[in-house]
Amino acid sequence: MSYWGLDIVKSGNKEIGTRNLFTLFLRALLIQASWSFDRMQSLGFAYAIEPFLRRLYPDTKEYESRLKLHLEYFNTQPYLAAFILGAALRLEYERTSGHKYDSDVAELKTALMAPLGALGDSFFWGALKPVAAAVAIAFLVTGLWWAPVLFLVLYNIWHIGLRIAFVFWGYISRGDAVELMRRCRFTRLAKLFKIATLTVLGGILGLLPAWRPELKPDVNIPGIAIALLSLAITLILLMALRKGSSPVKLMLGLAVSCLALAYAGVI
Amino acid sequence: MPLLDTQMIIIIIATTLIGGLIGLDRTAVGQFMVSQPIVAAPFIGWMLGDVTAGMIIGACLELIWVLDMPIGSFVPANSTVSSISATAIAILGSNGVAPLSVIGFSLLFTTGMVPLTMIADTIVRKWNSRLSDAVSASHGVNTRSALVRAQFLGLAAFYLKSSILYLIFLPVGIIAIGFCAHLPDSFHRAMSFFVKLLPLLGAAMMIRNLSRTTFDIFLLTGFAMSAFMMLTVQTPVFTIILLIVMGVLLGARYSEVWK
Repeated sequence: MSYWGLDIVKSGNKEIGTRNLFTLFLRALLIQASWSFDRMQSLGFAYAIEPFLRRLYPDTKEYESRLKLHLEYFNTQPYLAAFILGAALRLEYERTSGHKYDSDVAELKTALMAPLGALGDSFFWGALKPVAAAVAIAFLVTGLWWAPVLFLVLYNIWHIGLRIAFVFWGYISRGDAVELMRRCRFTRLAKLFKIATLTVLGGILGLLPAWRPELKPDVNIPGIAIALLSLAITLILLMALRKGSSPVKLMLGLAVSCLALAYAGVI
Repeated sequence: MPLLDTQMIIIIIATTLIGGLIGLDRTAVGQFMVSQPIVAAPFIGWMLGDVTAGMIIGACLELIWVLDMPIGSFVPANSTVSSISATAIAILGSNGVAPLSVIGFSLLFTTGMVPLTMIADTIVRKWNSRLSDAVSASHGVNTRSALVRAQFLGLAAFYLKSSILYLIFLPVGIIAIGFCAHLPDSFHRAMSFFVKLLPLLGAAMMIRNLSRTTFDIFLLTGFAMSAFMMLTVQTPVFTIILLIVMGVLLGARYSEVWK
């Protein structure tokens, strides 16, 4: 039986359906609730899949042994963990329902967590978050109060939409990461977002004459000159960062420089 | 109003409780990004009566920390605690609308506290290891209850960590701002100028992480386009929309070849 492209497999009270997968998505939101250095997201993973294990394994000993299996070390990008959870649930279901299965759940988790972690970090943290932030900051510095809401909307349309889809795709494909990458083209999208971020960042500097008065320098020079000056200062700071200065040290250094300039009467 | 009277203490406790909840989004629950400085700081600013201070602090800290990523076991700087503390300290220390110099000082103060936030995060994550040990050691039907208990203890640990940091940073920061009020005018000028430089530092940090070249062609294209638009049309919102469209088009055109 197929429903929204999802096989709803029935075997007595072991049915796994759309509502179950949505429950899995909700529990996956807590995958990092007890994040630790030694086993990282293992408790969160076990917590998300536990109700289904209880249903699939009525025998207490078997249930306990499967739950302990999911308590082994696990770490990946938290959103893409939903894909692995969906796949793990599918394999657990097939294990109990007599379907032919050729993958081991532990092996699948180990095989997927590192590549999906790298993919998710580079797309969600390294590309989607900066582009949403850059767009929102462009509106914020020019004085639009709803920019934080725009940031949340831009980010979460992708985040929530994909995170729900990951659970379903993981379940349907039994963890076929190649199909996931073909479907989402994360690497290309990440590059697209990074280029867009750089363009908007350049634009934010060019917009300096229109920044809210609190953030605009109080100097009596034409707008275009202020914008060029801000670009020059940014590139000088960029060169300092490329030489290995840490952000915190550079911030403290900036504050000390400002104090020196103020006491010297320059500003 | 005295520096830390009853009303102030009640506001600090309320900020601590709400700040702790917002902080859960950072690692423990969901990651919907409400804990990002661009959201958390304006929200706290709105709650305490000065949304502008929250927006300035949010924009500066978002640019600076947005690409500080939690990869593997790396614990990044806690930009949520920094942004909420900086906003609350600036507003409460000014008894209302925070002047730019006070915003600058509170940003500087919370930046100095960043290593402490990282240490606190590290302590919580080490402590959480005991939770997984406890679940592993449980047997039979107790395993489930041990797992649920561990998850909620983990949440409580993350919440308490943020709350304790706020309870330390806020009173200390507010008292420090009280002392700053007596410093000479040059100090206040320096702090105001510091705030104006921070977005440029933030932009530099983002560019460093996004591009290998200093004179990035897309950055310079965006700059030239918006500078031209500001000289001619002078409509920021229209310019930003055009920038986004151009950024996406450039991305679609060059993402296959860009390294």
